[in-house]
Amino acid sequence: MWGSVDVVVVGGGHAGVEAAAASARLGCRTLLVTPDLERVGQMSCNPAIGGVGKGIVVREIDALGGVMARATDASNVHFRMLNASKGPAVWGPRAQTDRALYRLAVREILEELPALQLFQGEVQGICREADGVSGVILRGGIEVGCGAVVVTTGTFLRGRIHRGLGEGFAGGREGEAATIALADALEGLGLRLGRFKTGTPPRLDGRTVDFGRLEEQRGEMPGYRFSDWGGKEPPGSKSCWITWTDEELHNLVSRELKKSSLYGGALAGVGPRYCPSIEDKIVKFPGASRHKLYLEPEGLRTDEVYVNGISTSLPSEVQVAMVRSIRGLEEARISRFGYAIEYDYADPRQLRPSLEVRGLRGLYLAGQINGTTGYEEAAGQGIVAGINAGLAVQGRQSWVPGRGDAYLGVMVDDLVNRGVEEPYRLFTSRAEHRLLLRQDNAPERLGVVAQGLGLLPRAAEEVFRSRVETRQRWLGWASAEKLPVDVARRISGGLGAVKGGQTADGLLQRPGARFDVFVEEGLRLMPALADHLDPGALRALEVDLRYAGYREREERAAGRWRDAAAVRIPVRLDWRALVGLSAEAVEKFADRQPETLEEAARIPGVRVADIELLERLLKRGVHAKAREGSDEGLEG
Amino acid sequence: MPDHRATIVGLATPPGRSALAVVRLSGDGVRGVLGKLGVEPAVFTRPGSARLVRLVDPEDGSVLDHGVVVYNAGPSSYTGEDVAEVSVHGGLIGPGLVVEACLRAGAREAEPGEFTRRRWAAGKMDALQVEGLSVLLDAESRGARKLALGRLEGGLSRRIQALRGILLDVEALLAHHLDFPDEDEPPTPAGAIGDRLDEVAQALAELRATAPVARRLQEGAIVVLAGRPNAGKSSLFNAWLGEERVLVSPEPGTTRDAVEVGAFVGDVPVRLFDTAGLRDEAGALEAAGIEMAERWLKSADAVIWLHRAEWGPPGKEEIEAMLLRVSRGNPGCLVLPVMSCADAHGQEGGVAGLGSGAREWRAWRPVAGEDWVALSVREGRGLHGVLNRLGALLGVGGGAPGGVWSEGTMLVREDEVRRVRGAEEAVDRAATLLREGLGAELAACEVREAGEALSGLIGEIAPEEVLDRLFSRFCIGK
Repeated sequence: MWGSVDVVVVGGGHAGVEAAAASARLGCRTLLVTPDLERVGQMSCNPAIGGVGKGIVVREIDALGGVMARATDASNVHFRMLNASKGPAVWGPRAQTDRALYRLAVREILEELPALQLFQGEVQGICREADGVSGVILRGGIEVGCGAVVVTTGTFLRGRIHRGLGEGFAGGREGEAATIALADALEGLGLRLGRFKTGTPPRLDGRTVDFGRLEEQRGEMPGYRFSDWGGKEPPGSKSCWITWTDEELHNLVSRELKKSSLYGGALAGVGPRYCPSIEDKIVKFPGASRHKLYLEPEGLRTDEVYVNGISTSLPSEVQVAMVRSIRGLEEARISRFGYAIEYDYADPRQLRPSLEVRGLRGLYLAGQINGTTGYEEAAGQGIVAGINAGLAVQGRQSWVPGRGDAYLGVMVDDLVNRGVEEPYRLFTSRAEHRLLLRQDNAPERLGVVAQGLGLLPRAAEEVFRSRVETRQRWLGWASAEKLPVDVARRISGGLGAVKGGQTADGLLQRPGARFDVFVEEGLRLMPALADHLDPGALRALEVDLRYAGYREREERAAGRWRDAAAVRIPVRLDWRALVGLSAEAVEKFADRQPETLEEAARIPGVRVADIELLERLLKRGVHAKAREGSDEGLEG
Repeated sequence: MPDHRATIVGLATPPGRSALAVVRLSGDGVRGVLGKLGVEPAVFTRPGSARLVRLVDPEDGSVLDHGVVVYNAGPSSYTGEDVAEVSVHGGLIGPGLVVEACLRAGAREAEPGEFTRRRWAAGKMDALQVEGLSVLLDAESRGARKLALGRLEGGLSRRIQALRGILLDVEALLAHHLDFPDEDEPPTPAGAIGDRLDEVAQALAELRATAPVARRLQEGAIVVLAGRPNAGKSSLFNAWLGEERVLVSPEPGTTRDAVEVGAFVGDVPVRLFDTAGLRDEAGALEAAGIEMAERWLKSADAVIWLHRAEWGPPGKEEIEAMLLRVSRGNPGCLVLPVMSCADAHGQEGGVAGLGSGAREWRAWRPVAGEDWVALSVREGRGLHGVLNRLGALLGVGGGAPGGVWSEGTMLVREDEVRRVRGAEEAVDRAATLLREGLGAELAACEVREAGEALSGLIGEIAPEEVLDRLFSRFCIGK
């Protein structure tokens, strides 16, 4: 039919979409195969994108030329900046989205890409050749040759849906078939698979909800765009609604607990603690007298609402009683029941940081199959895997962001080095460099590298170029021009003593300093700056200057990790020949085969003393020593 | 370069004449090596029990010695490897021959500290405990030994872990603030988090204050006897030592040298210095002695300043001159004022025994909070009181700061003090940030820095631990 392509992407969820788009942007002939083309970009759970940490990932994806930010802007019906009352490092942009518009936007964006072909079908096998993969087998026995495969099966891999007791039934989402053959194929390739679970709450017919008894939450900041270069006007707006569970519901759930799939013993997989089912909330926190629920709009052209906060695997009749016990929902009718779903994931420690399977050249895994949860986490891995699959096919070196560069780097590193014990979600607390990794400066962090890799469409290139120039011009002025005392006083906001002869950049570290005055004075003293007023760049610059003292510390630390990442460890190093390392470290290194000093240092349980020793040995030329002791040639 | 997997052998007792000597082996090859020395395989079947064996030369089979073997199989042994301890007859030659036979049987001579290194490498002790072991082996006083044993028991590690535990809690509370703004439960107020941080800062300050005490325990405190000529310094010196160590005469300026001896106050080793009396009108030789005395004053941990009872209370000027001498370049020095030759007036109770004269002396108390201690060497009274008070001043015996002494949880090395100070400063900054409402994200930055400083002492914290605490305390997620 089509013989061969460069990259095959298996799955059309958030990971698959980003992987396919990135690979196609690099110029690779890319085939995205998914069981139902109508569901490309489907949001399986709540109709919202972003949040604390997650929203920053969406911005990082945008800086890499990705899809999610643009699709969110095109379907955004209710925006909030979470943590707006706190420092800008932890601001979390979040949008409620119209589920259908989101899907349509994704489809539209994908169809902009001439190198990408969408195909409705099922990948049932993966062809192996020597130490890598060479193609996929579609249902019906069609073989497609390729240089790389990105597998993004989400909750579909041997997915099993549970509601109440009993065996449950096979399915990847309610009403959609599970992916079984591919699971066997992956195991056949030697991958270790485990079992996780997650859940989703019931949805309601909004016409039967008494909104008068609920608290309304309106959207804010309609001007915010997730995408710097491809954002659209929001299509409309809709409110969210807040209500609470009470004792009646808690008693009901406690009474019926044995009928829940989870507590009745039907389900064994591990679920996420930070996205607990209502059963979990009531069992684990018996002291809480109520739990907050958000009713989120499913879309502009439907009244259906999603009840965020009562994810459950209780039987249907209990769900009905449960909903009716909630204030404002007394008469509500359920349009879809909640359920729990169990699925296969692959231990992500089997991957390299590029998300390629160790020892299986050309096979990449991204998204929920790596034990994560969340659209943004999936999309973030998708773009990393898609970029690296494309780069590999083109014979180029892989690209992996560091922990100091992006939340994508934090996530990939956590996954491949620490592994997962429950479905993994990003938190800002996971990042060592929280002040550096912000939603406002994603283009500054990733734009240049994205351009270098060839990921950016022209529109993005132009926007990012203007941002870089704005930043450079203003930094140039702010760090060079010695200000007269009255100007310095105005910028500093009038608090504390100010001397003349200072530069503007240092003044912004003071509490109460005025960035608007900073800009005003800059324009007055250096009128040429008027040509460089990119608002995004100025915002990022402001935050950088305000955080400068802390940022320098973080940057130094990030720099140390970058240095460590630059120290390469020879391939096939005989760890046992390295004198002085603790037995524990030798065992871990031999098992994980870190490629750089940074990766070695990230392995959990490895002690500082071992890393320091390893660094000394590497710098002293362990290469030569190890070569003497081994017959095999060494690289590096 | 040594191979860290080889079987090693070493003499565990010092060479020289003794009834017994212990040869120790560790590694996979222990049984093989001892087998070549004629030890029956049956000996290794009951780990932990002592077995009498005949040791023979691995090559010619001639008898080397009779000994007792205690064998322990890894991983439940000192090093985590197979370990054997062989008690043989002591002496200058025999034990060495046994070690040498082990070498010929395939063992390698252990590097200094290698058994302990292997124990550490097997994860059986942390860095602080290794340090404790080295302090123990070097201990030259009972005090230093207690300190070392405390470390080996993991006392300091536990104390630091407890502090780190509080920091983890704080990080979790901050994570609740930052990562979950949408939740049911309102976040803990910043002020309350600040209070927890104050607790940590206080504990860190106390921990840091143990460093000088620990140093005194290890190296000995420098205690200098000072005062005008003829104040009775040499008399106290001799009385303390219980021997006529230095010359005593009624002639002022008899002592012209600084004389040092080793002594103890309780468990604390002391380097005690008798010095030339301090006066301005002295001959050249005596002046050189005075200069030397002043030099020792500058490095003293404590100065016992003697003043004769019959001279009456020292004047303000004299006290100020004395304090200036001591505190110049040595501000942390402790000063204990002693009223010497209190034969007629003095009592054990200090100036209280002076009756009507007491008030006059008290008015001239030279050091804030330190009352005069009365001493009469001739009547054999007051020495006990002087030593007790000195012990309290040095932070041992009853007067340990915060009672930490008894747990043996003290800081020993300079880098430990540095890390603790770094943590303390970061915690202070975090508390200030929270109190001034300047941003939980910055406070979190500081708290993490503090945690890392402490982690440098005992090992790494994973962010996962913070999240574990968070999820176990709060019902989070929609």
